[in-house]
Amino acid sequence: MANSQPKMSRALQRRENVAGYLFMLPSLIFFIGFVVAPMIICIGYSFTDANMNSKTVATTFVGLKNFIDLWQDETFLLALKNTFLIVLVSVPAVCMFSLWVGSAIYHLKGPVLSAFRCIFYLPVVTGSVAVTVVWKWMYDNYTGILNYVLKGAGLIEQNINFLGDERFALWCIILILFTTSVGQPIVLYVSALGNVDTTLIEAAQVDGANDIQVFWKVKWPQMMPTTLYILVITTINSFQCFALIQLLTKGGAGTDTVMYRIYWTAFKLTEQAGHFGYANAMGVVLAIFIGILSAVQFKLAKEK
Amino acid sequence: MKMKKIVSAALAMAMALSLAACGGQNNGGQSTTPPPSSNQGSNQSTPDPAPTGSGTADAITVWVYPVGGWGDEAKVKPLIDKFTSDTGIKVTMEWLAYADGDDKVNAALTGGNAPDVIMEGPERLVANWGVNGHMVDLSDMIDDTDRQEILPAALAAGTSTDGKVYLYPMFNVAHCMAVNYTAVKEAGAEANIDLETRTWTVEQFDATVKALYDKYGTTVAAVYCAGQGGDQGTRELIRNRYSTKLTNAEHTAYTWNTPEVINALTDLKNMPGIEFDASLQGGDEIAKFYQGVLKMAFCWNAAQQMDPNSAGTGEGKTLTGDEIVYMCFPTQEGKAPEEGSGVWGLGAFNTGDEARIAAAKEFIKYMCDSENCSQAGDISNFFSCRSMAEGVEIKSSNPLLVEYYSKMMPYMGEYYQITNGWAGARTEWWNMLQRVGAGDDIAETVAKYEANANAAASAAS
Repeated sequence: MANSQPKMSRALQRRENVAGYLFMLPSLIFFIGFVVAPMIICIGYSFTDANMNSKTVATTFVGLKNFIDLWQDETFLLALKNTFLIVLVSVPAVCMFSLWVGSAIYHLKGPVLSAFRCIFYLPVVTGSVAVTVVWKWMYDNYTGILNYVLKGAGLIEQNINFLGDERFALWCIILILFTTSVGQPIVLYVSALGNVDTTLIEAAQVDGANDIQVFWKVKWPQMMPTTLYILVITTINSFQCFALIQLLTKGGAGTDTVMYRIYWTAFKLTEQAGHFGYANAMGVVLAIFIGILSAVQFKLAKEK
Repeated sequence: MKMKKIVSAALAMAMALSLAACGGQNNGGQSTTPPPSSNQGSNQSTPDPAPTGSGTADAITVWVYPVGGWGDEAKVKPLIDKFTSDTGIKVTMEWLAYADGDDKVNAALTGGNAPDVIMEGPERLVANWGVNGHMVDLSDMIDDTDRQEILPAALAAGTSTDGKVYLYPMFNVAHCMAVNYTAVKEAGAEANIDLETRTWTVEQFDATVKALYDKYGTTVAAVYCAGQGGDQGTRELIRNRYSTKLTNAEHTAYTWNTPEVINALTDLKNMPGIEFDASLQGGDEIAKFYQGVLKMAFCWNAAQQMDPNSAGTGEGKTLTGDEIVYMCFPTQEGKAPEEGSGVWGLGAFNTGDEARIAAAKEFIKYMCDSENCSQAGDISNFFSCRSMAEGVEIKSSNPLLVEYYSKMMPYMGEYYQITNGWAGARTEWWNMLQRVGAGDDIAETVAKYEANANAAASAAS
């Protein structure tokens, strides 16, 4: 009897393992089919001159040519610069704003808190096309409400071409990205703040800590996993900013981003030799940057 | 535990099957391929499986860009139904948008799911998909009689340099511009508008812009450059100003780095009332003109005159009821205008299935070389590319179209959009206009973007 117990456990363990893998299998199939395989194909094609007009799957291996060309491609470098600008501005702005709003509303009573959550989450659940079209109306060079208000207030004399002037266009897009990005972080911060151990807060207050000290020394460390998640997700979303560009500026007026350039190269410039390979190389470069930045964020958060 | 295993297995199988279903059928062009996606504008009919091998398939898919009235499903459907009734071939129509139509076609070509027939212009059917081997050569459909009946310029535009016909010409139009005549009269500048000839000089155009700007104090017209949509308007405005060409005669290189283009851009940039607007494309400009915001439109043609902004609010009227007058692009005194050439037609994708190709050709013949040409042309609000078809005279019955034809078509310029690397060159054109609008040095900008366009021509695969 004593000997049969381990055997039973192993059998049970095996059965549970099998069941676990079977439950995982559907997701695994999708993950491999739609994430891993395309990723590998993308990396593979980035070393070739693949293009739409190839009669066969076989393409010519060009080594690192696409990657070398990228660093001499003025348009790509501008798109890369714009992408980094979006990330560098929107990620801290989203995190700080959502932390501030979360801190301000998390202690409110149920219905009021829900109302605030709804207000901030609304742009997230509203279709991006609908949101973008409304913003496009507001930004309109001729009949937009922003120009109307600014002129009415005497702040400007001539209409501002918000989406057609490179001094404003990228910032206008960052503003829309900001409004559509803060909803989820606010909800997460409200939840994280609600889960902070109150005994620690009370203990700190008994020890004489003021509100700021309580926040940074007690609450903030406990919210670090949430912050890390928000940072990573916002960084990835900002790097992959595409729909706003596609719907508002088509990459013009100094708003080209790497994601949009990938799309344009792959699906618009189909006459160009090796356009698929070149677009894939852009995708690989973008993925590398996202990976590096995410790793840095993980590392810093871990040290914290 | 047993139940757990059964549930696990069932879940795994269900997901695997759904994955297989998502994958779709890859027929490799050997049998009837359903449309790759059911996008907006697609009707709900699904073709029955078609026979493979010899003979004619009994179902085809046709993708249509919104060329004039052919973008209106309600107008097109009766003719398609008539075709099905006459031939027994079922047609699944899908209407594409210019914004993403190319993406869909290119994705379909890459995935081996191209439609059987497509309607658009030579810049796509000939210069891009044709020369890259995706289209069927339709030369065998055009005999000596057809060559006499089809407008030579249109047939030439549908033919590649090696003599293969990838586009069967269907209809054509001269792209022109339009002015808000009511506003022009209010500004006291109607003397500049010759309603008889519809031509005017640069001097008259400039005076009209000035009068409108003085009267209303807002942007009169936009050199729109947010994208390639409707870019023929800005090209024709700029090249007509000092009468020049943007490509060489062989259509192998771009030649817009000229004093004429630089001077035209300089004039327009410095003209109060004209704005280089990187927030508008052709369609946006038409909408602003229709709303009465802009007083001139450079993206205009007969179809727009018939139904401004496709709004269904009446011929030649803005939203507020102002009168719209179509005009040639202005030229220097004594120079004849050259309006933008628009040619559209049908082409057949090489699906590798002879039966489907045969059915596609039957569809093309029905629309382009039969007594149905008149109806097909009337739907478009453009003009048929042929005078006769199978012994029947082809002509428009609409008085406005007849008038437009008599006044504008004599000025229709050559079709140069088949120049190598056209897609890349178009991108360079509107980017160049954006830089000019942003205040960059015009001569340097023009030189840089022309060089880019020629690089695109060289790199065209």
